[in-house]
Amino acid sequence: MINFTIDGISVEAQKGETILTVARKNDIYIPTMCYISKTTPCASCRMCVVEAEGVEGFILSCNTPPTEGIEITTNTSALENERVNIMKLYDVNHPLECGVCDKSGECDLQNKTLEFGVSQQNFSARDQSRKIEDWGLINYDPSLCILCEKCVHVCNEVIGDDAIEVKFGGYSSTIIPKNNDTLDCTFCGECIAVCPVGALVSSDFKYSANAWELSRVPATCTHCSAGCSLEYETRHSGINGADSIYRVKNNYEFVNLCGAGRFGFDFNNQAEKDEAAFNKAVEAIKSAKAIRFSSMITNEEAHILELLREKLGLKLFNEDARKFQEFMTAYSSVSGKLHHSGSLDAIKQTDAAIIIGSRIATDNPAVRYALTTASKHNGAKIVYAHPMEDTLVQNIVTQFMKYEVGTEEGVIAVLADAILQDADLSEDERSFFDDLDLGYLYAESNIGDEELRDMMQSFKRAKNRVLILGNDLMAHERAVNIAKLAALIEKYSDFSLVVVPSEVNTIGVSLINTLDKDEDIIDVVGYNAKGNFAISCFEYANLSVPALNSQEGTFVNIDNRVLPTNVALSFDGYTLNDLAVACGISSENTIDYTKELNPNRGFKNIEFDNLENFLTPYGEDERGYLLDEVVCEADGTIEELDDLPEFNGTVIYHSNPVLQFNTYTNNSKQLEKDRTLRGSAQFAAAARISDGDTVEISFDGETVIRNFKLETDLKGTIALNPTFDSVVDASKYRFEKSKIVRVINE
Amino acid sequence: MSKVYFSTWNGELINNINKPEDEWEESAYNLPAQYDDHRDSKAFIGWDGVALFDADVDVIRLAMEYAAQYQEYSEACGRCAPGRWGGRILYDQLDKIARGEGNIADLDHLKEIGKSMQITSKCEIGKTVPNPILDLMTHFEAEFMACIDEQKPSRHYNDTVGYIAKITSPCADACPAHVDIPGYIEGVRDLRFDDSLEATRQTMPLAHVCGRVCPHPCEDACRRTNIDEPISIMSLKRLGADWETDHGYDFFHPMKKKPANGKKVAVIGAGPAGLTTAYYLAADGVEVDVYEELPVLGGEVTVGVPEYRMPWDKYLQDIECVRDMGVNFIVNHKVSADEMREFEKSYDATMIASGTRISKAVRCANERPEITGYWGAIDFLDRVNLYEKFDIPLTQAQKQEYAIDADFVDLTGKTLACVGGGFTSMDVVRCAIRAGAKRVVMLYRRDEKTIIRNTTYEEYHEAVEEGVEFIFHSAVNEIIDEDDVLKALVIDKFELVPDPDGGRAQLVKIEGASETIEFDYLIPAVSQSADLAFLPEEWELDMTSWATIKTNGKDYMTSRKGIFASGDCEYGPMTIVNAVGQAKRAASVMSRYIHTGEITLSDDEIMEDHLRKLKVYDKKEKVTGWLPGLPRQHSTVLDVDTRKYNNEEVNLGFTQEEAMSEADRCMRCYYIAMVAT
Repeated sequence: MINFTIDGISVEAQKGETILTVARKNDIYIPTMCYISKTTPCASCRMCVVEAEGVEGFILSCNTPPTEGIEITTNTSALENERVNIMKLYDVNHPLECGVCDKSGECDLQNKTLEFGVSQQNFSARDQSRKIEDWGLINYDPSLCILCEKCVHVCNEVIGDDAIEVKFGGYSSTIIPKNNDTLDCTFCGECIAVCPVGALVSSDFKYSANAWELSRVPATCTHCSAGCSLEYETRHSGINGADSIYRVKNNYEFVNLCGAGRFGFDFNNQAEKDEAAFNKAVEAIKSAKAIRFSSMITNEEAHILELLREKLGLKLFNEDARKFQEFMTAYSSVSGKLHHSGSLDAIKQTDAAIIIGSRIATDNPAVRYALTTASKHNGAKIVYAHPMEDTLVQNIVTQFMKYEVGTEEGVIAVLADAILQDADLSEDERSFFDDLDLGYLYAESNIGDEELRDMMQSFKRAKNRVLILGNDLMAHERAVNIAKLAALIEKYSDFSLVVVPSEVNTIGVSLINTLDKDEDIIDVVGYNAKGNFAISCFEYANLSVPALNSQEGTFVNIDNRVLPTNVALSFDGYTLNDLAVACGISSENTIDYTKELNPNRGFKNIEFDNLENFLTPYGEDERGYLLDEVVCEADGTIEELDDLPEFNGTVIYHSNPVLQFNTYTNNSKQLEKDRTLRGSAQFAAAARISDGDTVEISFDGETVIRNFKLETDLKGTIALNPTFDSVVDASKYRFEKSKIVRVINE
Repeated sequence: MSKVYFSTWNGELINNINKPEDEWEESAYNLPAQYDDHRDSKAFIGWDGVALFDADVDVIRLAMEYAAQYQEYSEACGRCAPGRWGGRILYDQLDKIARGEGNIADLDHLKEIGKSMQITSKCEIGKTVPNPILDLMTHFEAEFMACIDEQKPSRHYNDTVGYIAKITSPCADACPAHVDIPGYIEGVRDLRFDDSLEATRQTMPLAHVCGRVCPHPCEDACRRTNIDEPISIMSLKRLGADWETDHGYDFFHPMKKKPANGKKVAVIGAGPAGLTTAYYLAADGVEVDVYEELPVLGGEVTVGVPEYRMPWDKYLQDIECVRDMGVNFIVNHKVSADEMREFEKSYDATMIASGTRISKAVRCANERPEITGYWGAIDFLDRVNLYEKFDIPLTQAQKQEYAIDADFVDLTGKTLACVGGGFTSMDVVRCAIRAGAKRVVMLYRRDEKTIIRNTTYEEYHEAVEEGVEFIFHSAVNEIIDEDDVLKALVIDKFELVPDPDGGRAQLVKIEGASETIEFDYLIPAVSQSADLAFLPEEWELDMTSWATIKTNGKDYMTSRKGIFASGDCEYGPMTIVNAVGQAKRAASVMSRYIHTGEITLSDDEIMEDHLRKLKVYDKKEKVTGWLPGLPRQHSTVLDVDTRKYNNEEVNLGFTQEEAMSEADRCMRCYYIAMVAT
């Protein structure tokens, strides 16, 4: 703790804080143009200079930690004079196109020019001709760029794409794609978000609306379980036009958004109140044996379904949530608590992480970004255990542990054995490990003794460890025992645990609904899922209901946080609540159920309208609330390991390409839709197919036709098969033994 | 001391304007008045002022061209608002005046922008570029005014004048390999470790090694010392290399390998100098064959520097990086004189980088190599390291020679004395501790302060912690043996007697203070000499007075055309970074020589030598604009009880947090120097 003063006010700094961060924490204003809280200081604008008593010259506050007793002054006429000069310099040759610039009205350059009263220009320099770059979803105008370097820092330090860099050259310095002619990245668009001027813009949004005409609706992203906060920006699309979403923005100062969240916003649907269809739907529900639904649903809707189940005595099918529920129940039986201990924030703080059973960069980009932050900022040692390498995470992973497909139970057992070597286990637990046939497990899983030793060695200096579990474990046949072993690690070591759910509200549904194992029966009503009668927001609906960006309600995300979302675009048709009312379950609005959610599962009895939805100016997450911890009975015991299965021949792995998650993203116009089966040269050779072939993939009684794409980044005999176009059931164990046959085109 | 017409260098003001040349007052600094053999300098302009060597210099254009260099030196510039726009405005305004279109307001703008840049720029380039420009505007105001008043071009505006510029920094200037230190530290600060590593590898292929075991002369020239403590420069180098290794990346080479140009070079010795020559020549498209006598690559860093200081798996990465550039290695091959004659014909040039691998005698009575227990440091360390790093056991003959039963150097129960005071002797004593010796004594002629200066503070203190006894002001007088087996040493004691005339204090033997101490081993590690028996006698290569190969220390060609020498066999036993620096320069000279047959230095190298002579670091400079008192970070070292029984790397390196906070202390002291010819 360091005590010092800023403008005469006594303040305190923690280790690692700078003069600027302490000033901000104490609401003392120091102007900046290039500072962004979530990265290391860019230190390019030089606006944040301050004076220190007894020190000659100006000191940069953004990257200087204070020393004990130092007296800092942030605002003298000399400082003001230099700041004005910097603004004058920034304005030299800046194109006067505010009338059409996308950034106008929310531009830092505009605002600071006004703030510092730069009314005339007495410096000049010869201008240069510069070309606007079209990088697909992103456009870059170097004339507007002020070289603050925020985009470069975010791309490298937080996202991990490291796809852009500064091309140095004094006045001609510019931002360029790194090692490439054009931008080759995951198109998260975070560079657009952080750009303080109109240099980096969305090519879709460009020239379509002024910032001040747009209404902002705070909401939660629906594409994966991270539940990132975002704002839908809407406007009427013409004089008599309906409202539409123009773009999505995020609080880029502290949090991130992936490209699917940013560019995949136009999945809303519209319908009139079709009374005939409504009545049929009511009848269908009343006569149904079961309702099948997906986890892309609010807690309130899930609650309504639960009420319908109770009232009508029907079954609820949702394999994704059911498997998660089963996994977490087993976890609770050992850990003695309902929810996993970790969070995205814990991942950001980590310096040692193990991730197992997920192709995380595409499964949950927010986890990837948190790991990137940990890798870059904490130098985290990151072990990535999976049967397939992923080049997207090479720059964060320090040890790739390749295990054989299907051996996840063995993998978690040898990990637990290594981690819990000296743990204070119960007698039964210790004897479980003593009885392990390690030789067999090492041989069959392909994870060696030496790899585990390397891992433990690299984790030696770590202070914050986290174990991250992906869907391959939850969907595994041996999920129950895997969950118990993971719980054991969490219980007896300093690892915190993060279980990564698949969908935006997998956790919510798993906590709210009583689910039955899905059966292939008739008389099933599908709610945004397959069924004999389809109630959904998608095209094939027998009754249309609103998509999630036209709904209000809450989700539970990976952090076990209950997050509110709001209506971006109104929907004129019927909702699930209307159907419930017709079935005799009375409530005026869906969100009346927010306060009714079950406290035994950790929910709090708070009205929807009383839920907060913002980040504080210091970056604290004030969205919704964290589920209460619930104590469970810890009566579970670890079972003996099963024989490890073998997956020979050509194997496919159900995994989506970048920017794709589900039907929503599949319906979004800006997002690339790569529906190919992607595999390595080795896979192609094994399957006797080549790039561009149409292939028939048969597995587990199903057959899918896809084009095959050879990817040089991939290795091994496993190919990636997408699920976003709903041709396969994403809740299954994602590896499949498959038969690949080339389709001969006549 | 240079003869100048005018100088404002480092605050001096020498003004010989209108004075006859023989009355000119001299500058106090080593300014480059003579650019090279065939070119005079007309002016030198840099961060600290400007010097004119000729009355007929166009000062307005000089200022303008200097500002232009600021735009050119892209790698360091364009990183901050005052520098990016300010630098361009300086140039534009000066050019406007120089071409005869300026007005008085332009002068005011120049002064205002110059001042803003001096105060707020990100790095020293931006802060210092206005210095000489403002000096010229002050002292040659009339010339500026004449161009403005008469709207005429400056004196030589349309003539051809050579302007040669170079970017430098105090630390890079002091580094024998001239590593772009601010560049790699910036890479750490910006968390761009690939950039950091590439900055290092531009002139230093051994990033793992020099991030661990460099004696870092750069830190003695760190400008941060002027306000608190020097940056921990060496430790920050390791981050880029560790990052590349930890993430399993292919090697990040800072340059693209050029296509093969049909030229071939032989390199004798695969130590730091040999590896460096090979790396840069291979990058240039030359086919390089490296011949190594030992079964392993890496030279003394492999067989001399112990595992606990320089882990082999890390050094191997550096070596593999060199191999990855397309270098051929031939191990277990001791080159003969006949082969050297042959190489002269079959290769376009040859580099001798064979090091110094003969341990010198301590010069005491009864010093006979056949005594068992008398064991040269180089051989001792070879045996230790070949076993620890490569599992190569002692042969039967060696076991007998050293009186050791085990397959490795096992000193359990033995006592050992080492005579030395440099890095090699430190390696010997610390290895002896790890080999289980009962008592390990370092005998050193001088005092504690000197041993620290000759090695490092950390090295000395770690040795003391591990249990090495240091007997200062001591020397071996005589070896006592029984049947050619070493039994004891007679050790003389000395005291420092100040010279009454104020000269260097003299070591004087204290009579009667000598004592006899029982030892099993005496390891001489006072110095090493070069084994150059493989050089053809008829070549009659010029040698230095201490029997190393003589070159001029600038281009590293020996007295025989096409035969080059670098590293310890040229300089005498010195540091890794010195060998790398020599070899890098030599590779550059060789890459031109093999095409043209001429020995030349590039402008960059000529400027490098000028600046080294002038000295970039000024320890008296008053540094402003930085908050003093931010502590230098120290990396964690293994606990003494853990490390003294094994070979685990002692220095754990910085945590990311420590590295980032250390990198943030760096002041980016880049400077531009420019000569007009």
